Amino acid sequence: MKREIKGMLTGLGVTFRTMMKPAVTVQYPHEREDPAPRARGVIALKEENCTVCMLCARSCPDWCIYIEGHKEQRPPRREGGRPRSVSLLDRFDIDYALCMYCGICVEVCPFDALFWSPEFEYSETRIADLLHDKFKLGEWMASVPEPEPLEMGAEVKGKK
Amino acid sequence: MTTTDLPPPGELPEIAVDPAAFRHLADAQVNVELDTGDMVLNIGPQHPATHGTLRLVVRLDGERVVSADPIIGYMHRGYEKLTEFRTYPQITTLINRIDWLSSFANEVPFIDAAEHLMAIEAPPRAQYLRTILTELSRIATFVLFLGEMGLQVGAITPAFYGFRDREYVLNLIEAVTGGRFHPNFNRIGGIKDDLPWGWISECRGVMNKVLASCDEFDDLVVGNPIFQKRTRSIGIIPQELGAAYGVSGSNLRASGVDWDLRRDGPKYLVYDELDWQVWTHPDGDSFARYWVRLQETRESARMVLQMLDQMPSGPLMAKVPRIIKVPAGEVFVNTENPLGEMGYYVISKGATGPFRTKIRSASFSNVSILPWLLRGVYVPDIVTILASLYFILGDIDR
Repeated sequence: MKREIKGMLTGLGVTFRTMMKPAVTVQYPHEREDPAPRARGVIALKEENCTVCMLCARSCPDWCIYIEGHKEQRPPRREGGRPRSVSLLDRFDIDYALCMYCGICVEVCPFDALFWSPEFEYSETRIADLLHDKFKLGEWMASVPEPEPLEMGAEVKGKK
Repeated sequence: MTTTDLPPPGELPEIAVDPAAFRHLADAQVNVELDTGDMVLNIGPQHPATHGTLRLVVRLDGERVVSADPIIGYMHRGYEKLTEFRTYPQITTLINRIDWLSSFANEVPFIDAAEHLMAIEAPPRAQYLRTILTELSRIATFVLFLGEMGLQVGAITPAFYGFRDREYVLNLIEAVTGGRFHPNFNRIGGIKDDLPWGWISECRGVMNKVLASCDEFDDLVVGNPIFQKRTRSIGIIPQELGAAYGVSGSNLRASGVDWDLRRDGPKYLVYDELDWQVWTHPDGDSFARYWVRLQETRESARMVLQMLDQMPSGPLMAKVPRIIKVPAGEVFVNTENPLGEMGYYVISKGATGPFRTKIRSASFSNVSILPWLLRGVYVPDIVTILASLYFILGDIDR
């Protein structure tokens, strides 16, 4: 019986000490915690870097990226050269209702056209509004953080 | 599974608890002279005490359980089949979702299997990062259990404490991997990215917080007389029977079996370079399972602190081709996940994806002992036994 009362009192001591500490919760809509810079919140598209190579759409595990594009002839760079053909993006949609936020598309992009942004407040009342087109994806570019420094002992790769 | 082909509860091995504790197993028929007939009670699949869509059909005689049948499959997502139509890098993002509480630990055995087949090995720094993140996910899983178990016996305070500490650990995981629940951070031949600046000191601080809150759980839950009354000598898994059912992980160690794949299995990650110990408890009851997980949380925090001190520098990725094709072959890799032994049997035919994958998940085997374990217990104890076994429905149904 004595032991039981002691056990109860030590437990109450823990709750009492916690009561004296400041609260760890955050009242979300009024105050917000910023997620880590690496947090996978939303994918941003830098349209001028995209060459419509379709690598992201093909490597997506649930195929939620829709890309359409066309080729255009541009005048040659030098006098007498051949005309260049340029791929232009018509449609770049990501369906965030399907997206699993795995980041494979960002990783496979060879031309650095896709970036992660930690922004997360884009919930919608209609599920169809979660399909972000290329203009909306382009707007997220403003919230993409700079690459952060790495920890001691990390090998710095020569990044373009 | 039916209860008829199980060994009778009378033939039990000797264990450390009072034999009188087996009275509740000894005869399930209490009201023999007052034959009231059995009542069938359906618990779940939508029931807060079952942690997901586990359905239990329980036949009751008064307040005692005559038989209990777990009915699973309400959350079957077909991951074994899905892996046949994905490439290896895509699969890691799927298998994150098997056991969503410790998703990083799920990736490790699968990536290990693919690396075995390709005969490559991740560089030491990547191995250390993998081990740190695996142990962090173990802490995140167990800390939630430590709180939630209190909730199941009627104490709501520990649940908040558990979520508070889990949040610290999840923030750490998010700062490295970018995902709180689904890191998808392992790559074949290494790991995706290095630690961000300042992470190591932050991680040290959080580990000390975790160690301190383990002491809090010691005072708050373990020493609590009500908690002890509700868990001591309840839901006892005998050693041999647990092993025969394939119960693994902390549930088996709580029955006194000194078996941990991190130490006893084939070498994986860097556990052999660390100074740590395997905790066991002789009793095998709900209390023992809580106690073992509490000690393992401490041990994991100490392991992380050690690894932060001795982390080597160097590259993070071995040399791998850009398009990963795994050579033909078969391999089975099993590791010690927070919930128990998790294994992947991968058959490759040389393509970009596996030909067939068999997933051995811990919770499936852990709940298979439920019909035996629940026989003869009182109705309120069903909840505590279910909570102390600590399964994840995604891990059962896959």
